[in-house]
Amino acid sequence: MTESWFGQRRRRQLQRFLQKGKLTILCLFLTIIVLRGNLGAGKFGTPETDIEEIRETFSFYRKRVEPRRVLEEAETIKNDDASASGNNYATFDINKMFVDEEGDDIKPDPNKPYSLGPKISDWDEQRADWLKRNPNFSNFLGPNKPRVLLVTGSAPKPCENPVGDHYLLKSIKNKIDYCRLHGIELFYNMALLDAEMAGFWAKLPLIRKLLLSHPEVEFLWWMDSDAMFTDMAYEVPWERYKDRNFVMHGWNEMVYDEKNWIGLNTGSFLLRNCQWSLDILDAWAPMGPKGKVRDEAGKVLTSALKGRPVFEADDQSAMVYLLVTEKDKWAEKVYLENHYYLHGYWGILVDKYEEMMENYHPGLGDHRWPLVTHFVGCKPCGKFGDYPVERCLKQMDRAFNFGDNQILQMYGFTHKSLASRRVKRTRNETSNPLEVKDDLGLLHPAFKAVKFSNFFPLVGDITFQSGLAAECAFACQCAFMLDMDSD
Amino acid sequence: MGQESFTAQKRGVGAAATLPTTTPNGGRPAPSLLPRGRQIHKTFNNIKITILCGFVTILVLRGTIGLGNLVSSESDAVNQHLIEETNRLLDEIRSDKDPDDPDNPSEPEYNPNVTYTLGPKITNWDQERKSWLDRNPDFPNYVNGKARILLVTGSPPNPCDNAIGDHYLLKAIKNKIDYCRLHGIEIVYNMAHLDKELAGYWAKLPLIRRLMLSHPEVEWIWWMDSDALFTDMVFEVPLKKYDGYNMVIHGYPDLLFDQKSWIAVNTGSFLFRNCQWSLDLLDVWAPMGPKGPVRDEAGRVLTANLKGRPAFEADDQSALIYLFISQRNVWMDKVFVENAYFLHGYWAGLVDRYEEMIEKYHPGLGDERWPFVTHFVGCKPCGSYGDYPVEKCLRSMERAFNFADNQVLKLYGFRHRGLVSPKIKRIRNETVTPLEFVDQLDIRHSAQGSSGSQS
Repeated sequence: MTESWFGQRRRRQLQRFLQKGKLTILCLFLTIIVLRGNLGAGKFGTPETDIEEIRETFSFYRKRVEPRRVLEEAETIKNDDASASGNNYATFDINKMFVDEEGDDIKPDPNKPYSLGPKISDWDEQRADWLKRNPNFSNFLGPNKPRVLLVTGSAPKPCENPVGDHYLLKSIKNKIDYCRLHGIELFYNMALLDAEMAGFWAKLPLIRKLLLSHPEVEFLWWMDSDAMFTDMAYEVPWERYKDRNFVMHGWNEMVYDEKNWIGLNTGSFLLRNCQWSLDILDAWAPMGPKGKVRDEAGKVLTSALKGRPVFEADDQSAMVYLLVTEKDKWAEKVYLENHYYLHGYWGILVDKYEEMMENYHPGLGDHRWPLVTHFVGCKPCGKFGDYPVERCLKQMDRAFNFGDNQILQMYGFTHKSLASRRVKRTRNETSNPLEVKDDLGLLHPAFKAVKFSNFFPLVGDITFQSGLAAECAFACQCAFMLDMDSD
Repeated sequence: MGQESFTAQKRGVGAAATLPTTTPNGGRPAPSLLPRGRQIHKTFNNIKITILCGFVTILVLRGTIGLGNLVSSESDAVNQHLIEETNRLLDEIRSDKDPDDPDNPSEPEYNPNVTYTLGPKITNWDQERKSWLDRNPDFPNYVNGKARILLVTGSPPNPCDNAIGDHYLLKAIKNKIDYCRLHGIEIVYNMAHLDKELAGYWAKLPLIRRLMLSHPEVEWIWWMDSDALFTDMVFEVPLKKYDGYNMVIHGYPDLLFDQKSWIAVNTGSFLFRNCQWSLDLLDVWAPMGPKGPVRDEAGRVLTANLKGRPAFEADDQSALIYLFISQRNVWMDKVFVENAYFLHGYWAGLVDRYEEMIEKYHPGLGDERWPFVTHFVGCKPCGSYGDYPVEKCLRSMERAFNFADNQVLKLYGFRHRGLVSPKIKRIRNETVTPLEFVDQLDIRHSAQGSSGSQS
């Protein structure tokens, strides 16, 4: 009996030990959880991160509400008792007003490959002929000054972001100022010419249409709506491009050697009006059509180009790809400019404006005083940008004021600071206004001078001019007019 | 035996929810022998431990997973915070507050003895200008036989009170860009208050003066309000008609001199020649403008003297009318009050007839058959409240914009799908010989052809 009692006691001890052991383990477990919840455990993470991961997996859609980068109409609607008759603009929903009265265009045949239009093969001759017949619409305004059309645009509907339209307005004012100073014509597009080529591809059909409708234009300068001129005095060195047809900002090594998707930028480029340009537009377009084509093309581009994230095909990557794969065909007439900022990435420029104002002066166009500051990724018109909203908008204000100061100084004013909308005088009014010269000489700059003799074809000169035009029939090879003064 | 004890223990664990209670007996059927007190003590212990464990569990769970709507409220709180931040940013952008001005900018000293002036008096502008033009043949005031015109317009530097206002400002400037490109006119878009005293509708005076003096090569300065749209893209202002005049303004002489109506002329769209006369007129026009007591007092004078004028501070239009009436002999021989075409066209009578116009008439007429300018007076899309119902205003502005845009798109073979549609449709197929249409349809060619090639 003693033995069984002993065994029993032993068993009881064992049980107690086991129970205590369970207790200990359970408490230990709880302690670990609590500590992990509060202090974290290095790479094992915290429960919050667990939850994040779970959320991410299950609610991808919810993730898009990344509020830091969202600028949506978050204002609560103010009281609408006054809006019965509706004199209050704040409560009006403009999208209800737009009505498309006529039906959609015929859907294009999905089996036919996309084309921008019927193939034209003799554009140089057609154009040269037209220029001969229309001496009043010369393609050159001066010996080294081609007729340039700056093209930009935005969507026809109001921006989703409530301040987006205001920044579009400032941007177009900025372009109006530069173009007025430099004798460049401006075209602001608000029409989507081809529904298949929507988004960043919309510029292709537009550019082709404008080249064909404006034979007097020698260079077409496309510029994104989020790019601003910050050097009002810099004149593009047209003679440098006399043998080239396509000028973009970029680096040869980055495009041809590295195949980097940001080796060039299609937010600001020059395209000559000639057959070669129509051909490159035709070669560029196939990756554009919305839907399967664009998505497939996007995959091709991501695998072929360095550093490209995964998304549908965009015109810039497509251009890099085109230049890399068909280098022999196109590269000879493409100029990748990097001596001045035909496109200047805003991230590296905007903080230096004050330093630039102190050390340099307008007219340089390069890193010391950029010609163009391009707000890539900011997307002020849309809801989602790639950068924090506050930084984008504040910097756009600064860039605008930086450029505007150069305009205002012509009239004796300047902004109180780069962040301020207010202006102050820099020189007093005088009773001899014509003796005052503006510092930058922008009121009557040389690049705007009208060469009278070139514009008034007297009867005897017409044959001379037409002879000149005939010589330049192959306009893309002979890309500049002989200096008439030298004759 | 071991099995039995195990299952007993398991049961024991399950029964105590989280922690096994220290039942030394493991649930074996002996406990009835334990004294009552001991039992109560044990139960008490159990309860204490249970409560403690439950409490710890809740704490832990709350800290990590939360409890139902505490989850969403946390992210909601974050969202809310960021929406507030965004709102604050929007408000800051929209407000008039400036980072450099102190919070309470000091009001300019009002000195009733000093009459406001736009600048030092200039008396020899005509000669100065002529000699400048002679010295600078590269900047002539006549190009290709046409006088150089500078179109001036503008809007305030801060965003409109609502987003729609900025959108229509954008459309309006696009409309002006199109007209001016077709007619070789340069544009200045002003977004700066050059003179704090002359703010609001008076801001055009110092601006016009400044531009005239800085650009002697400009022959005519054409002020146009931001709410006026070109609706006849072909029509050109017949400048030859105004050879002997220095100011062209739309209005009705009988309303002006007989009825003394405050809307006899409209200063939303007018032309000013760049000459001494214009500087003098600006100098005489300005004194009613300075903000504050001057403008209010002037407003009372104007309301008393002009027919139909409501009571509000002095505006530039009423002031000009008053000037024309009271100093008729001084100014009127050089002012052309034009009404043969709509240099300014009041929108209300025009916008509903666009379809009729498209059917019956054609661009180039400029008058009531095809108005040159449609001016949306009173709509004030940039503010919060207009004088007319919003829907009517915006719809009409959209119609006017598309009516004009159709004339521009015609060259490219497109047109809007209806006058309120932002979408376009093709009206002409692409061809391999686009230049035949260019000759036919480009407005610039017809404009050049009609004006001839006189020097």
